[in-house]
Amino acid sequence: MIDREKRPDAGDKIKTVAVLGASGTIGSLAGGLIAQNGLKVYFLSRTKEGSERGLQKAIAQARSEMIAHNVVCGDYERLFADALAEADWVVEAIAEDVGIKQKMHEQVEVYRKPHAIVSSTTSSLPLSTLVQGRNEDFKRHFLSTHFYNPPGRLPACELTGIEQTQPDVVDFMRHFLTKRLRRVVIPVKNIAGFAGNRIAFLLFSRITSLAREFGVEMMDYLIGPYTGRLMPPLATLDLVGLDIHKAIISSLDANTSDPMHNWLSVPGYINTMIQRNLLGKKTGGGFYKKLESGKCVFLDPVSCDYIPAIEPHVAFVEKAKHFIRMGMYKKAFETILSAQGKEAEVVKDILCAYVAYSYSLIGEVTDSRIGIDGIDKVMSYGFHWAAPSVIVEMLGGCKTAAKLLAERKLPVPQGLLSDLKSGFRITNSGKYFVAK
Amino acid sequence: MKNESVYILGGYQTDFARNWARENKHIAALMREAYQGSIEATGIEPGDIKAAFIGNFAGELYCMQGHLGAFFVDFDRRFVGLPTMRFEAACAASAVAAAAAMAHIKAGIYDLICVIGVELMKTADSAKGGDYLGTAAWYEKECAGVEFPFPKLFGKLGDEYDKRYGLDNQHLARIAQINYTNAKNNPNAQTRDWFMSFEHACSTGKYNSVVSGRIKVTDCSQITDGAVCLYLASEAYAAKYAKQRGLKLENIPRILGWGHTTAPIEFAGKVADSKDDEYVLPMTRKAITDAYSRAGIKDCWDLDLIETHDCFTTSEYMAIDHFGLTKPGRSWEAIENGIIEMDGKLPINPSGGLIGCGHPVGATGTRQLLDAYKQLTDTAGNYQIPGAKKVATLNIGGTATTNVCFIVGANG
Repeated sequence: MIDREKRPDAGDKIKTVAVLGASGTIGSLAGGLIAQNGLKVYFLSRTKEGSERGLQKAIAQARSEMIAHNVVCGDYERLFADALAEADWVVEAIAEDVGIKQKMHEQVEVYRKPHAIVSSTTSSLPLSTLVQGRNEDFKRHFLSTHFYNPPGRLPACELTGIEQTQPDVVDFMRHFLTKRLRRVVIPVKNIAGFAGNRIAFLLFSRITSLAREFGVEMMDYLIGPYTGRLMPPLATLDLVGLDIHKAIISSLDANTSDPMHNWLSVPGYINTMIQRNLLGKKTGGGFYKKLESGKCVFLDPVSCDYIPAIEPHVAFVEKAKHFIRMGMYKKAFETILSAQGKEAEVVKDILCAYVAYSYSLIGEVTDSRIGIDGIDKVMSYGFHWAAPSVIVEMLGGCKTAAKLLAERKLPVPQGLLSDLKSGFRITNSGKYFVAK
Repeated sequence: MKNESVYILGGYQTDFARNWARENKHIAALMREAYQGSIEATGIEPGDIKAAFIGNFAGELYCMQGHLGAFFVDFDRRFVGLPTMRFEAACAASAVAAAAAMAHIKAGIYDLICVIGVELMKTADSAKGGDYLGTAAWYEKECAGVEFPFPKLFGKLGDEYDKRYGLDNQHLARIAQINYTNAKNNPNAQTRDWFMSFEHACSTGKYNSVVSGRIKVTDCSQITDGAVCLYLASEAYAAKYAKQRGLKLENIPRILGWGHTTAPIEFAGKVADSKDDEYVLPMTRKAITDAYSRAGIKDCWDLDLIETHDCFTTSEYMAIDHFGLTKPGRSWEAIENGIIEMDGKLPINPSGGLIGCGHPVGATGTRQLLDAYKQLTDTAGNYQIPGAKKVATLNIGGTATTNVCFIVGANG
């Protein structure tokens, strides 16, 4: 039997890829994604055993041991030079630390092939700083390919270069990532947080502040999956890790500026959580802690102790969830909008803030010519949140949404007033509204 | 029966990669989304709909919900009072619903019928779901107490081929690989982002375990939540619809022929009946040849593509010779010669089929018809077969107990 499987022609220029940091989550899973699309991939990390552990993660993602045939595992000391001499694309996915990344790029420069593409998976560290001191050929071929985790389920990939990156390198990678790796590529501007993290972490920041008043369990109940997301926000932060959350907020605080910038903060209780190593899932407890009995307890932001579940039940939330369950999405949002009381106001505030901030960043984080489309894509395919334009439709359309924003003293972005459209509509966005 | 032509006006398929059970959605939400999407896709005026026919296999088992037709009238206040009915014929449920809609239109009873195929399956774990599927066979005789009865039964189909003609499992692996490869071009396919290779399909191990006999995980279709809504119309309605959109009536897909047969429910009975026949499943062959005959086509080579029922690789292997691509027992020739591939002489399952696109049991028949519509109107996107003018669909229920074949054509 002949294997007749046809491959897309995109990216014949790239035959071999070296992944640096292949023991980590993004390195191993992005590397696995590349391997399962038929390319030879070097998995490199400090130890060969670490790279092999990364390969196991990649195998689990692909659900096939066969991808191992495309992977060569090794450590930096023994395999780095050979791998880089062969690699057409070097994916740097090591620790989020400027100094460590700079040192690694220095080594990459020594061994890489001329014209080999080098990309970092960071979205929050300043890209130009990472390549300080590198030669011109390196800079011309350097960019960021920001994969979302896990890439097997979240196909978004933000793409941007630095000032010196050759435009044809960015164009080529856009085509390659789309056609060969089946990514939803969002070209973004080289600003900290790019589009996705910039928007999501501002909202996370606001929600962590509100959790002081409402409590962790109630905040996740109010801003739960029925409002247009796969996971409640604080549960998401437990997966991200509170230390990473703080680092991203700090980077956004230091490197961005906009009318909603003062929403960025790390409440004191999160610093206490970090001091106590309550970082989230990776340390066995964060906002949530699962007991041996299988029950969850929740962090009390006032005492920083865990408290039993209160199992909230708010009438408008339950009614909205029922409508979501029956596929009556607009009815669900009509229920939210007509509800009274401080809980309802919190839900409306967060939904409106999401719209206000997303539309206000058109042109700053993505090209203004694509309108809201790029931001819609990154929030949907990167975070599995309903696209901002879908939330606008759910709120009753652009004019109604603008009115709601103005009532809440939120910026009313020009993009919202000019009735921008994207490919996202309620009909094809039902999956983002979960009846929980 | 009057010789009224029956047209397909298009519709909507939900994304088969979704897990509606995890979304905590009711089966009515699945139907509603397919309906709303179909109104957006076709621009049909809801007030024109005269009846709604629902195809569904086992709503009572998977979701504790029957009487699905009744949910349709919730979708629009104007639907209160409309006739609705639910059809069940195992995996052929929605092909039977479409066949019944066709008959009602041919009889001049209604001129526009909304046909919805729907199944919500991920509510059940694999063992329980496998048991539910067993009710599509003779449960007491063939399935009670059997873990995963259907893979076992369709493994036996492969065994029967092996006994009569010889069967190389690599040909089954190749069928799986082609369906997964095609699915990558289909934005609604369940497996569009899954890894697959011929090597993987041939392998046996942790990620491709043996389910039963020669049937491995990669030989199976998927457990899928999904719904498809499409519209069948009389010539008079289709002419009005075409005129409003500046289309030619001959470019609107039309059902040219159909075949609908039922074999004894027990698989062993079917095999015993066919012991002197060159076809392993003669009632499946008869559904196909009846459809050819009614459509006035000579053989499969008058077709541009086939959307067939590949609930397992063995069922597609069977379909290849039963459609007449090869002599009986020689399906492997069409596989080895690349005939069934996207650029082959007669592509099978450009959508990815049940293996690649997914198999929400009660929705598969309508999904096949909607894909036929897309191919004939040049709207299938990346899985378009250029210039397609005639498409066959084959939807089978149980172990090829109910067999429904449609030939759909257009001049577009």
